[in-house]
Amino acid sequence: MPEVVVTIAAGWATLLLFAGGLLLLRAPDTLHRVLALDVLVAIVIILLTTLSYLRDVSYYIDAALALALLALTATLVAARYVTRGGPF
Amino acid sequence: MILDIVGSALLLLGLLLATIGLYGMLRMPDIFHQLHPSGLVTGPAVILVLLASVATGSAEIFTSALLVILFVLITSPLSAHAIARAARRRPPR
Repeated sequence: MPEVVVTIAAGWATLLLFAGGLLLLRAPDTLHRVLALDVLVAIVIILLTTLSYLRDVSYYIDAALALALLALTATLVAARYVTRGGPF
Repeated sequence: MILDIVGSALLLLGLLLATIGLYGMLRMPDIFHQLHPSGLVTGPAVILVLLASVATGSAEIFTSALLVILFVLITSPLSAHAIARAARRRPPR
């Protein structure tokens, strides 16, 4: 891929990160916050992937995989916390 | 050459989908409405950006990206469903 396109994509993903932060700040509720954090993790995965294309190394995507795994666990536990008032 | 064009198009299309999804999430009033554009960000946008790894020409990056795509395909509907069910069964305030 041309380096210009990947650089533009990285900058764009950073701007999307700011929009996700705005979404997190505007959340009125616990569940809205959980949803906003889920979306923020997706944007960070996009950013890590773009960084991996930019520097031509593969381990940034492995970091993205670990982050996705942690985000799934966190979302499930937080959803259960909202429903039952406790994590277990 | 063609691979470069395909990769750039996939990357920018994924970022466009993420932008549309975030704009929708900022506009929607309710959590059930917000879940719809959030599915656009956590599912297809991430998958398109990861599919652009065919243009890097590196087997390591493509294999890792394929693993992440499989993982996202499984977990993205799962977390959205968990949030929707929690919003449905949440005790009234």
